[in-house]
Amino acid sequence: MSTNRNAARMKPLAIAFSSLLLAGCASFSSDGGLDTVSAFTRERTGQAVQRDSSAEDTAASASAVKQFLTQPLTPDAAVRIALANNKGLQAAFAELGIAEANLVQAGRLRNPGFSFGRIRGGDNIDIDRSILFDFVGLLTLPLRTGIESRRFEQAKLQAAAQAVQLATDTRKAYFNAVGAQQALHYAGQVTTAAEASAELAQRMSRVGNWSRLDQAREQAFYADATTQLARARHNAVAAREQLTRLLGLWGSALDYAIPERLPELPERLTDANDIEAQAMRQRLDVQIARQGASATASALGLTRATGFINVLELGYANKSQTGEPRQNGYEIELALPVFDWGTARRARAEAIYMQSLQRTADTAIRARSEVREAYSAYRTRHDIARHYLDEVVPLRKRISDEVLLRYNGMLASVFELLTDSRAQVSSVNAAIEAQRDFWIAETNLQAAINGNGSGGGSTEIRGQAVAEAQPQH
Amino acid sequence: MVSRRNFLASAATMVGAGVVTRVGAASLPEAVIMETAATQAPLAPPNGRPYHPVVTLNGWSLPWRMNNSVKEFHLVAEPVVREFAPGMKANLWGYNGQSPGPTIEVVEGDQVRIFVTNKLPEEHSIHWHGQRLPNGMDGVTGLTQPGIPPGKTFVYEFTAKRPGTFMYHPHADEMVQMAMGLMGFWVTHPKNPDFMRVDRDFVFLLGNYDIQPGSYTPKVSTMLDFNLWTINTRVFPGVDSMNVRQGDRVRIRMGNLTMTNHPFHLHGHEFAVTGTDGGWIRPEARFPEVTMDIGVGQMRALEFIADEPGDWPFHCHKSHHTMNAMGHNIPTMIGVDQKGIAEKINRLVPDYMAMGERGGAMGSMEMPLPDNTLPMATGEGPFGNIEMGGMFTTVKVRKEQKPGDYSDPGWYKHPKGSVAYEWTGNVPAATRAPGASLSAAGVEYRARKPQGHQH
Repeated sequence: MSTNRNAARMKPLAIAFSSLLLAGCASFSSDGGLDTVSAFTRERTGQAVQRDSSAEDTAASASAVKQFLTQPLTPDAAVRIALANNKGLQAAFAELGIAEANLVQAGRLRNPGFSFGRIRGGDNIDIDRSILFDFVGLLTLPLRTGIESRRFEQAKLQAAAQAVQLATDTRKAYFNAVGAQQALHYAGQVTTAAEASAELAQRMSRVGNWSRLDQAREQAFYADATTQLARARHNAVAAREQLTRLLGLWGSALDYAIPERLPELPERLTDANDIEAQAMRQRLDVQIARQGASATASALGLTRATGFINVLELGYANKSQTGEPRQNGYEIELALPVFDWGTARRARAEAIYMQSLQRTADTAIRARSEVREAYSAYRTRHDIARHYLDEVVPLRKRISDEVLLRYNGMLASVFELLTDSRAQVSSVNAAIEAQRDFWIAETNLQAAINGNGSGGGSTEIRGQAVAEAQPQH
Repeated sequence: MVSRRNFLASAATMVGAGVVTRVGAASLPEAVIMETAATQAPLAPPNGRPYHPVVTLNGWSLPWRMNNSVKEFHLVAEPVVREFAPGMKANLWGYNGQSPGPTIEVVEGDQVRIFVTNKLPEEHSIHWHGQRLPNGMDGVTGLTQPGIPPGKTFVYEFTAKRPGTFMYHPHADEMVQMAMGLMGFWVTHPKNPDFMRVDRDFVFLLGNYDIQPGSYTPKVSTMLDFNLWTINTRVFPGVDSMNVRQGDRVRIRMGNLTMTNHPFHLHGHEFAVTGTDGGWIRPEARFPEVTMDIGVGQMRALEFIADEPGDWPFHCHKSHHTMNAMGHNIPTMIGVDQKGIAEKINRLVPDYMAMGERGGAMGSMEMPLPDNTLPMATGEGPFGNIEMGGMFTTVKVRKEQKPGDYSDPGWYKHPKGSVAYEWTGNVPAATRAPGASLSAAGVEYRARKPQGHQH
């Protein structure tokens, strides 16, 4: 019995050794893995990616970007520019190159070497000469190649995830920038109304028709409005700069144009059917987790088979965090079966495998929940934005029309008219914010289905404070 | 006047048989209704004791039925729509199709029976303001009678003892029902038709309403800040003129059912106050006046000889009462240069127009207003805008106005040289007090800074 079992154990090892020569032939691919990344990205964002590996590539993508910048940006154009131009993403592609180099390296034996040592102590001189040959390397070469090729696959997925994340971030930054610019426009209108009030109040006070108290009140409102305008102006700059960073633009490209208005709300909404299944198919974090689990499974198989090869893979993190180096690495341990026939190692490998399975399940459950939440946010944001467009703004307009009629009949004062026009402007502004929030929610939904999720941010929708005019008469 | 026979049929079924038996009547008298706000010709008495009828401004007098020497009237309290002036209508409560209700005219000593049908959604009762009558006929819900429930008819019966000027109004949920326009005039003529005989006898009630611009129903909870001050629930230019023949002795009888007093002022003549709701004033107690203040809940009769031909205003001297709906919270814009600001506002409110810089006159401006809202001060006269509204009307005195003719003779044709005219000669500089000078800002005074503590 026991001999049989040992024979069965020895078999995969024999295969591993026999595949040595074949594995040794690993070489660089023509695309460096980018074709796969590009396909992944295109499937999820509609846009391909490319890698600037030469000066010609860089020049070509620079001229394409330049072409896009001749017109006010659309969300898609912004994504294309970011994918072509964002240096962070290009750095991620370099990571891909590193992974491939590792893979190729793993398929080659270390060169044999000589070492020479000379130690002198007192009158004695010891001279050490040795010939080095990487025997362990030779034994683990097929394992290493297998692991590195899986790591290369992961690197591709991770590069794609980063590209999709960039596309998501760019879209959000785009809508933020357009929205902030529109908000700035309306803050300017509020300030104009406040300025008119303050100026009128000043002139009224000058000819003796108004008290200093009333005048000061109008002046105070104008002063506040000016602060708001400054704030809105900075926010517009900040939002635009965020977009600029993601687009990877600098220098003369900085005066790119963004449209004056956000895109209209879509006529048709994405259906809720099937979004969870779609997310399971599409989500890159789910795929990365799944791949990690299968890698662990093959390591487990090996450990089970031999009992004295222990492969520990580390660092199949769900996603890469910006600013933090990815935790990556692996360890192959070849034990000599002298005292220990490897039961503990097998148990450990099994536990690690179970752990990776649970992690995959966790990722999947989280992804399903995220996509449902993102969908709710998307629907609600849409309904709110529609409500603003169809109800709130027309109502405010009607109120303003009626206040104007009252002003005409000397039933309301010019200040009531101005207060109301400020309220109308704020409601238009709130409508724009709602429209922007819808587009961001739409982007988040796409990210929840296709990317790595909505980024974990809360989608809680808070109430909006709209300045309410209370005309009295 | 319209007979509403179909209403009568339904009213008859509504009235309990017991009520009919108790009043000894086979049926209710006809409830005549009026559907126009135009002043109706005086109602010459077809039967009963003779009298000289009054003219109700923008109103009418209620016909009666003689039933075994009892004068029977039928008032129906009901929701009505009253035009305040062309371009503005209000949902009110009134009597027999109108607010105010028809004037009731009887003669001293008449036996009067009034059927009151309540077609309001709440209890009702009528108080006969100023009358001497049995306490149980005084019409005070809860105190002298139960309220008349919706759909029911009650009967009031008394003898019109004292001649004079009276009114009727609800005494059930009085605040709401009067704010909704329920009120009417009552004249008890003297037995002797020649007692204090006049050629023209006009009557009306003063009312106040708060109908917010763009709405149709009065705010019944308003206490003082009304925006429509009415003569017989009409506002100028919806109030008819009082047309008289030159030399006529004219009597105007007014009742005040508003929340404040009204100093009424007649142009071109002086008058004497000859009666109150307490009765006629002895000639030796009268004094000449051109303005008479009429307090809340009071009646006044004034008389004058209309000997000056022309179109003479007769109006409340509280100038806000000769305006229609207006904002009371509007800052004064007089002298405020709005240049530059208007353009700024126009960017936000394209249809905005600067107003008030040269005063409040809006005669030449025609701007859209909220629905069902009258311009603040209008009324076209022969020389342009009269810039009046609310409690304003005219007495038109004409030589050629025939006795008994109450029709509007049109605008007065002034004899040549009798209208104020423009001076076209040299204008000498105005004499100023020595040392006075205009300050740069055009303000004609100089503030003296307080000095010391003697002041």
